[in-house]
Amino acid sequence: MPSKVDVGPHATSFEAIGVPWRIGVHDETTPTASLGGPLDDNDREAVLQRIEQFDRDWSRFRSDSLISRIAREAGSWTLPADAAPLLTLYERLHALTDARLSPLVGSSLERLGYDAAYRLTPAGDALPAPRWADTIALRDTGEGLVLDTVAPVLLDVGAAGKGYLVDLVGDLLASRGVTETLVDASGDVRVRGERSIRVALENPLDRSKAVGVAELRNAALCASALNRRAWGAGLHHIIDAVTGRPVAEGIIATWAIAESALIADGVATALFLVDPAHLSAHFDCEWVRLSSDGRLEASPGFDGELFA
Amino acid sequence: MSAMFTSSARMKAARIAAPIGAAAALLSTLTGCSTAATEAGAPAADAPVTAPVNANYTDGTFEADGAYQSPNGSENITVIVSLKDNIVTDVEVVTNPTNPTTASYQGQFSDGIGALVVGEDIDALDVTVVAGSSLTSQGFREALTVIKADALES
Repeated sequence: MPSKVDVGPHATSFEAIGVPWRIGVHDETTPTASLGGPLDDNDREAVLQRIEQFDRDWSRFRSDSLISRIAREAGSWTLPADAAPLLTLYERLHALTDARLSPLVGSSLERLGYDAAYRLTPAGDALPAPRWADTIALRDTGEGLVLDTVAPVLLDVGAAGKGYLVDLVGDLLASRGVTETLVDASGDVRVRGERSIRVALENPLDRSKAVGVAELRNAALCASALNRRAWGAGLHHIIDAVTGRPVAEGIIATWAIAESALIADGVATALFLVDPAHLSAHFDCEWVRLSSDGRLEASPGFDGELFA
Repeated sequence: MSAMFTSSARMKAARIAAPIGAAAALLSTLTGCSTAATEAGAPAADAPVTAPVNANYTDGTFEADGAYQSPNGSENITVIVSLKDNIVTDVEVVTNPTNPTTASYQGQFSDGIGALVVGEDIDALDVTVVAGSSLTSQGFREALTVIKADALES
């Protein structure tokens, strides 16, 4: 183990959208065990404002968000400028998973108890998500992306939203001249620049253990596990939109590596729903998945170690 | 009570040695409960539900029940923990599903205990960050808190 004096100044850390964040600024000499140094105060403030803006647009847990307004009435909604990459990815994953991954699972999650009040008690039978084609349509206008809805609809961008926000934060810092960064939003990590980092793949059943280590350079790694947001036996946040029920097919944790955290996060979620080969055929990504029987698998190109 | 322990629903965890807090984190991943209840006759029915972290626990085997509302109605599990020298030496989770769908879900989570054996200590690895998850569910924590309170040396 490296000694603690090697790790240099502490990275910036804060809590946002309900999880701890850490952001480090580094160069190629930064030790492996170090996140890098802190942001300056102006950059830190800009990052916090960017996250707040994303939350105000996309969170279904706050009543003043755009998502909450879309859930109250039907209409034509001009989406924020960051919407296109996120919803384009959702369209691709929706098609690749035969509609099992969908941004329309908000009402399914609420039915299961994962609502803005954290009621955490199911309110009846599972509720399938509304069908995309029947409910919403996206129009690209000169003034941006417009969402047309035929009825109030509760969107949930949990499958890829946090990863996307990791990208957006890094983009913002790069635009301010801070190009060599590590952004870690509790399970969703992106490192930019020439530095290589090592990411422990945490065993969801024992947080003191890693099931593997991934080597990451100028790429993103996102993790997803059924115990992350679980509130009962078989009740967790990875929903099959077709049935409205939490997935229950034996995968308990996934990790995906891609050039962006948006793609890595979306693929990590989709790994619960479809054959990994199906995703590899359509996305430039590597993956690891852990089954409930302890089986650990990785894609042929995975760069790292597995401790199975 | 033994009638609940049918062979098909009974599951024995891999033997582990871990501090009680770590075991709580493990157990909470198996199956959580939105509302926890201690059933009449369970050993800790009247015990306080809070316990100091750095306490001495009595050696022995303790159990508690957790109940929760699933989409199929009320379901419950029983958690049995063996303690020796303040270390959890054995964990057993007995699922008591009343509905086949719940049995399927509970089986999936119970089977997950087998994966406890996978992995290496993160503290011993030279890594930059850890990617995983951490949230624990309240009901299971409550059930385990009852167990801890019951095991506290008086």
